[in-house]
Amino acid sequence: MRGADGNMVTLAVDGVECRYGSVKILEGISLTVKQGDFVGILGPNGSGKTTLLKSISRTLKPHKGTVLLDKTDIYSIKSVELAKHMAVVPQENVIGFSFTAMDIVLMGRNPHMTRFQMETDKDMAIVRKAMERTNTWQFAGRPVNELSGGEKQRVVIARALAQEPEVLLLDEPLTHLDMINQLEVMDLVKELCAKEGLIVLAVIHDLNLAARYCNSAILLKSGRVWSAGSLDEVLTSANIKSVFNVDAIVRKSLVTNSLYVIPLSPQKPALSKKCAIHVICGAGTGTVIIKALVDEGYTVTAGVLNMLDTDYETAELLKIPSVTEAPFSPITQQTQEANMELINKAAIVVMTSVPFGYGNLANLEAAIEAAKSGIKTYVIDEVPIESRDFTAGKATLMLKELKNCGAVFVKHPSELPTLVNATRDKLELAKQSPTEIPGHIKKPS
Amino acid sequence: MATEEVEYKFSKRSSRWKLILLLLVVALIGAVIICLNVGYAPIDFSQILAILGKQIPFLNGTISSSSISTVNAAIILQIRLPRVLAGAIVGAGLAAAGVMYQGVFRNPMADSYLLGASAGASLGYTLAVLFTGSSLLTVFGLGFYQAVAFVGAIITVFVVYFMSRVGNKVPITTLLLSGVVVNVFILAVQTVFELRSGKALVGIVAWIAGGFTNITWTHIYAVFPFVLAGTIVAYFFTRDLNMLAMGDDTAQHLGVNTERVRQILLVISSLITAACVSISGVIGFVGLIIPHMTRLIIGPDHRILLPTSAIVGAIFLIACDSVARVATGANELPVGVITALAGTPVFIYLLRKRKTSYSL
Repeated sequence: MRGADGNMVTLAVDGVECRYGSVKILEGISLTVKQGDFVGILGPNGSGKTTLLKSISRTLKPHKGTVLLDKTDIYSIKSVELAKHMAVVPQENVIGFSFTAMDIVLMGRNPHMTRFQMETDKDMAIVRKAMERTNTWQFAGRPVNELSGGEKQRVVIARALAQEPEVLLLDEPLTHLDMINQLEVMDLVKELCAKEGLIVLAVIHDLNLAARYCNSAILLKSGRVWSAGSLDEVLTSANIKSVFNVDAIVRKSLVTNSLYVIPLSPQKPALSKKCAIHVICGAGTGTVIIKALVDEGYTVTAGVLNMLDTDYETAELLKIPSVTEAPFSPITQQTQEANMELINKAAIVVMTSVPFGYGNLANLEAAIEAAKSGIKTYVIDEVPIESRDFTAGKATLMLKELKNCGAVFVKHPSELPTLVNATRDKLELAKQSPTEIPGHIKKPS
Repeated sequence: MATEEVEYKFSKRSSRWKLILLLLVVALIGAVIICLNVGYAPIDFSQILAILGKQIPFLNGTISSSSISTVNAAIILQIRLPRVLAGAIVGAGLAAAGVMYQGVFRNPMADSYLLGASAGASLGYTLAVLFTGSSLLTVFGLGFYQAVAFVGAIITVFVVYFMSRVGNKVPITTLLLSGVVVNVFILAVQTVFELRSGKALVGIVAWIAGGFTNITWTHIYAVFPFVLAGTIVAYFFTRDLNMLAMGDDTAQHLGVNTERVRQILLVISSLITAACVSISGVIGFVGLIIPHMTRLIIGPDHRILLPTSAIVGAIFLIACDSVARVATGANELPVGVITALAGTPVFIYLLRKRKTSYSL
């Protein structure tokens, strides 16, 4: 652990306000970071992330507020003093002249050298270690301007490590890196944090990488802290919606045991088609179709779904009405009736390539009934029924019956929207004279 | 394996640099002696060495005075040696200033005249010639016109510097543009005065073209301290120059007080340039191509680039001056013409090569 006197090193930002001209970029920013913290600075473009990093790195003096490193105002000490404790990996790296990678990393030793000194063996050893850790040692002798973006970025990170700082500031350190390099750099930084008690503040655009590596985060919106704390507190669907204006699903990955964010494309306010479609699905076979139909502007219902299955989650997320059954339970009479009720309100019924067991044969019955009663019925026949029939041929027979009742078989889900649109137009024409539009149910608000 | 070699090379860097400098100093001494041989009076090398040896305190006893002709001694010591040394000092000064300017501006096109030192000196000299009668006055060893040229150079650089101040910072792009603009402006004023200068025009143009025609020891005593002290002080900021190449923000994060380093280096390089220009006139290309050539060979590290450039600049300029002295018979050419004639092909070559071996 660093901090020779045994005390914890802390970085405290207190009431920082930054302006460019009369425009406030940051306002009332306060945070305290202690050794071993890896803080992600998150937020949309223009929310003040880089400005915050600049005011902490002594590049941009705040108009109000202080930045204290170990109770010392960083604006009251010399830049060479600060450079012994704080290293910065900037967003853009200008490297003039053809210095070698080793030259660049050796520059990290500058704050520790006097004006009249050459690098010592100790400096060389520190530089070598920094370069080995960042996987840059193998091209130490090459001119930096001949390196790739990712290699250059790692050299700059090595230079920061050679400073032996207590605080490491990273401004979008992953921009030029491919997947493996991103993970390696983040693993390294995380390790330095955990083992050597480094304080790390990093502006990161990729919420998933932030969630995976940071142990806390601050989320900025228009120059103010919108949310700060543990990742669980900061990375919520609600926060992401209000700060980034993007609907997102936030889940915990069982593999990495960290949150991950799936952003959904910003929903265009599709013209409501005033036409209800009921999707009979399950086991994730309906998710794509439900999303596509909702995006098209249809009023979609679904059933019968088993709770906690993927299609159930989709229905919940998209807030569409559905009939559900308890997990892993066969469809009961009661839910079957509720499903029929939704089917009867629909103008079109779609059945996906759901696998059939004895528990959900009732869904197939429901489809047959729908087709018999004259509701336009589509069957997605993507997977051959033989490979998804777990009822000793019963389901296969019923599917044949469904075909005989006039159901239209479609080979691939992507063909569905076009077919459905055509059907809807036809229905629309036919029902022009009657006052009531068939199958319309109110979307829950 | 290759990397281990790199590490070894880096750990032995300091002794390698010392060796390079030692070899260059030997080469410079050799060049001085060879150039002392150039001229109308044929004085062979044994005479030259004897005359020089006589001046060295511990060696002078071993050389018999009878072997030295007093005429030859006078030619070498009072005419050729000051001239060759002036060439070495000015060449070293301009090249060192060029390294500093290129480093501070992070721009390979910067040279020692970028901030108007040459234009200011020329205008100062012209005004002094036109509006003051006497040129017999001397100021700290410099002729009166030369002293005015020195002051003109300093004033111009300071005007450019303070014009570019924004708050308490001097952004380098602003400084670069101010330098270009002021250079053009002074050139215009200069032209007006030249057109009205009548008979004095030839003298003015000859001075501006640059040369070492009437160099005496007093000139050397006046200028050498600027170049020597300036280069030594600048040497202590060479590591900062390396980091300035990474951009101001990064240099600051690495502990460089960028504004102050820039100020110090600009003051030093401007003083050196002004001192050089005052005795030699405007000699072009040395401050531009010598740093480039040296950088291509020795690498971009300013700790070795600055001293090597200075010595290479010294050798280059005394060689050019020797050519200027004898190239066209009795009427010698201005040395600025030779440096330009020799420098342009080299510079074009460097520009063509730049894509692969150079970038900024």
